[in-house]
Amino acid sequence: MSRKKAARGKASPRSPRSPKASPSSSSSGSGGGGSSGRSGRGLAAAAAPSSGLVYPSRPSISHSGEFYDMAFKVMLVGDSGVGKTCLLVRFKDGAFLAGSFISTVGIDFRNKVMSIDTTKVKLQIWDTAGQERFRSVTHAYYRDAHALLLLYDVTNKSSFDNIRAWLTEIHEYAQQDVVVMLLGNKADSTHEREVKREEGEKLAKEFGVPFMETSAKSGLNVELAFTAVAKELKHRTMKEPEESKFQLQEYVDKEMRTVGCCSS
Amino acid sequence: MEIMKSSGGTAKDRLDRVDPYGFVRSDDFDYDSYEELMSDYLAVLTRRAIKWSKLLKGKGRVQKNVKLKRYVRKGIPNEHRTLIWMEASGAQNQLEKNPGYYQSLLGAQHDVKLMESIRTDLNRTFPDNIHFRKSSSPGLLRALYNVLLAYGHHNPTVGYCQGMNFIAGYLLIITKDEEKSFWLMDALIGRILPDYYSPAMLGLKTDQEVLGELVRTKIPEVWQIMRDHSVMWTLVVSRWFICLYIDVLPVETVLRIWDCLFYEGSKILFRVALTLIHHNQAVITKAQSLPDVCQAFKQITYGPFVDQCHAFMQKIFTEPGSLSMATLTKLRMTCRSRIIAEDSRL
Repeated sequence: MSRKKAARGKASPRSPRSPKASPSSSSSGSGGGGSSGRSGRGLAAAAAPSSGLVYPSRPSISHSGEFYDMAFKVMLVGDSGVGKTCLLVRFKDGAFLAGSFISTVGIDFRNKVMSIDTTKVKLQIWDTAGQERFRSVTHAYYRDAHALLLLYDVTNKSSFDNIRAWLTEIHEYAQQDVVVMLLGNKADSTHEREVKREEGEKLAKEFGVPFMETSAKSGLNVELAFTAVAKELKHRTMKEPEESKFQLQEYVDKEMRTVGCCSS
Repeated sequence: MEIMKSSGGTAKDRLDRVDPYGFVRSDDFDYDSYEELMSDYLAVLTRRAIKWSKLLKGKGRVQKNVKLKRYVRKGIPNEHRTLIWMEASGAQNQLEKNPGYYQSLLGAQHDVKLMESIRTDLNRTFPDNIHFRKSSSPGLLRALYNVLLAYGHHNPTVGYCQGMNFIAGYLLIITKDEEKSFWLMDALIGRILPDYYSPAMLGLKTDQEVLGELVRTKIPEVWQIMRDHSVMWTLVVSRWFICLYIDVLPVETVLRIWDCLFYEGSKILFRVALTLIHHNQAVITKAQSLPDVCQAFKQITYGPFVDQCHAFMQKIFTEPGSLSMATLTKLRMTCRSRIIAEDSRL
């Protein structure tokens, strides 16, 4: 048997550990280390001003080497198993690997820089555990979120029924002017569908929030959901004149794709 | 433990694609470093195995004493893990005192909500482990479901909390026995750990703050960085506590930590956390923003320091300095009251 010394100083051999299934734990280095501009204020700061967005005076550079002009915090919320992590990974890496993710415990984030018109917008996207008891740990982070993507699973009625409770929670803990968008995920699963698109639309109308159906699996409307949020946040920041005001709902209605006619 | 194929070729040719616990190695797995590391560790394992078999010769039971504690800290050979975990944690006593109890829990009427929340996580527990795939037969998915369901009925206040799936999964991988896994869950959640998994998660919140207080006195520079960037401890360490380091540290290292956890209790979790933070304080204090801090706390769970589990386990008893149970109890009381007071003000 060799008595050679074990490798030292080698870059992270990730040895006897199993390959990690969680995207959050292994690959966040690609984007998780980004600098949030000059903001020294943490997400948890108690008296965050409602317009407390990060808006560096000159382009900043994140650790992944990407320039950006402005940065926003977006949170993914919704019941356990509705596909928050899958949606995020589809958006971030363009990949969907069925059954390759472990359930998210606690809270985690990934960054993505998007080009909105000529502006580089960095989204810092927070992924949260869906189980109810974790909310007491995660809702402290609602306060600093600029946008919340609220997900339900169209194949799971109870995840849809819980949306009202989620919205109540959001109103209680988030900023008044937070951008909220309702997403009915897993829209590709036509056979197991339990919630019609119209039901989602109706609920969204009742609460005055934009809505669309998404599929992390097929990619349906995933890019659009994040683009729409980024556009809205960018327009708010630029404080453009009223006449050219960006209409989030109109934009979404125009750009949204729907699943086939037999889907609902 | 892994037997290396002796024939030539590269380390990748000599080693299996699946580790001894059933986890499939990722494409970027560093076979060469692993082989070097194991060639050292195998010598340790062999030496320990001989000592343990002498100690246990002809005995089905063990007594807790200073010698056994020392042995446990140096690592329990995998073939004795179930026995020692069961004995040291009191799970064996409970199993013997309650014959048929586990089966009766499985036979009783089941809470539908509980069943649903467990089912949601079944296929999201260890998708990278061959024993936890739908296609594996007999596999451990059914056993995982049973253990979690039985535990949820045994302890309805806790029911099922995400994270327990990983713990039950590890217990099944090691014991290969549902009933023993159930009683080890009972030992962990019911006695060894504070109330991490109950709906209010008060024990978790408390221990996160306790860690903060310990860092404040032992590693003040890191505490200052956390404060400067308003990073709540929950953001960086909640998974460490809830998952008992599963999927945070390498499998072999986690099992070595659990050896001590079952024998010495939850204090070990703090020793591990403090060691990781203390050893890497230069990395953490370089952070310039909240995301940087989060990133640093992930980075420090990788690399040779945590891969070399034997050296790491020696470090956890020296690097953080003294940590008495009295200190811990006192800090837990203070932090708990503070959290309760803050919650009632909201």
